[in-house]
Amino acid sequence: MKKQVAWLITVIVAVSVSVPSRAQTTPTKAKPAPRAADGKPDFSGVWIATGALRLMAGEAELAAARKADLDEGRPAPRTEPPPYKPEAEKQRQYFLDRRGIDDPMARCLISGVPRISFRPLPFQIIQMRDQMVFLYETHHAFRIIPTDGRPHPDDIEPSYLGDSVARWEGDTLVVDVTGFNTKTWLIGVGTVHSEKLRVTERYTRDSYNTIRYQVTMDDPEVFTKPWNTEEIFRLRPGERIREYECIENNEDLLRIEKLLQGNESVFKRPSNP
Amino acid sequence: MIRALVCSILFGTAALSAHHSFAAQYDADKPITLKGTVTRIEWTNPHFHFYVDVKDEKGAVTQWAFEGYPPNMLVRQGWKKDVSLKPGMMVTVQGWRARVEPNLVAAREVTFADGSKLTSGPPAGTGGN
Repeated sequence: MKKQVAWLITVIVAVSVSVPSRAQTTPTKAKPAPRAADGKPDFSGVWIATGALRLMAGEAELAAARKADLDEGRPAPRTEPPPYKPEAEKQRQYFLDRRGIDDPMARCLISGVPRISFRPLPFQIIQMRDQMVFLYETHHAFRIIPTDGRPHPDDIEPSYLGDSVARWEGDTLVVDVTGFNTKTWLIGVGTVHSEKLRVTERYTRDSYNTIRYQVTMDDPEVFTKPWNTEEIFRLRPGERIREYECIENNEDLLRIEKLLQGNESVFKRPSNP
Repeated sequence: MIRALVCSILFGTAALSAHHSFAAQYDADKPITLKGTVTRIEWTNPHFHFYVDVKDEKGAVTQWAFEGYPPNMLVRQGWKKDVSLKPGMMVTVQGWRARVEPNLVAAREVTFADGSKLTSGPPAGTGGN
């Protein structure tokens, strides 16, 4: 027993010595963000969410990105579970138990904000003096976001991507998005919302290669408090936006219909006791 | 920090999803590896499909259907239309079986006759579990 304790202590000491803590390492200085002619940080480029690198570029690139974050002292993205009210949480669980078969994306419907930012397909930002254009490879989606201080139009119809206007807070671009329909999920499976959803996105180009993306989803119908999450977008030099025409040959639709017609026991999660 | 990392792993993964929920259609508990001859390829969105004739030990041939990434994702994994995969090629495909269709597989990786490999689709569990 004593031997085991001594062995355990040795292992703990060895591990704590061999794993460098962030406090002990001096961060490498990251290459700074480029500036536009007006002095604002220039977000132009093709970007991808770090979490999506695994699918798009493989494990090695994901590991390299995470290492760069450690080396450059970039804090890991902070995320939290959705603070749903009981009724909305029940809805989310319903969709989770159905293993995401109801996902609007499976029917080739466009993803909303912020889900579209996390897709494993890149997006391009084109920065102009008084507006930003976001081109998403997924679903040929685009957002034209005024940055000249204008308010939202007064004739907004509920839509998948909502209506976006932006302002600068120092070097951070703050995008206010409103006017959503309820046909999208916010991030993961079953993350429902109402038409009262308001999304605030904060884009900070904290180095040449990265944008820190901080998003707040506020929806008093479904949440007990605003839901915050973060991600790091990675610059993809040499990458270009390609075509993705979802509806061309979507065999999923027929299969999903087949599953829904009498095969629920096949795909649903086993019932909770 | 650890909590943030754990959350990041949990919700970061949940945030990611391919075109459809993998888990509703495919069973992560049914991995399968099949070897056979390619008969047809559909280079289409939102998934590419290919078909392989697989011979059993008695010589009976069964056609298996495979589903994977769309073309825009395939080219980023190193695929080339009409070059990487052609009818007549002998391939080994690793993936997961569909929940209902008996001869349908979500193809994760294709191994070619010379031993080279290309990723052909997402890992099990993508988009839900």
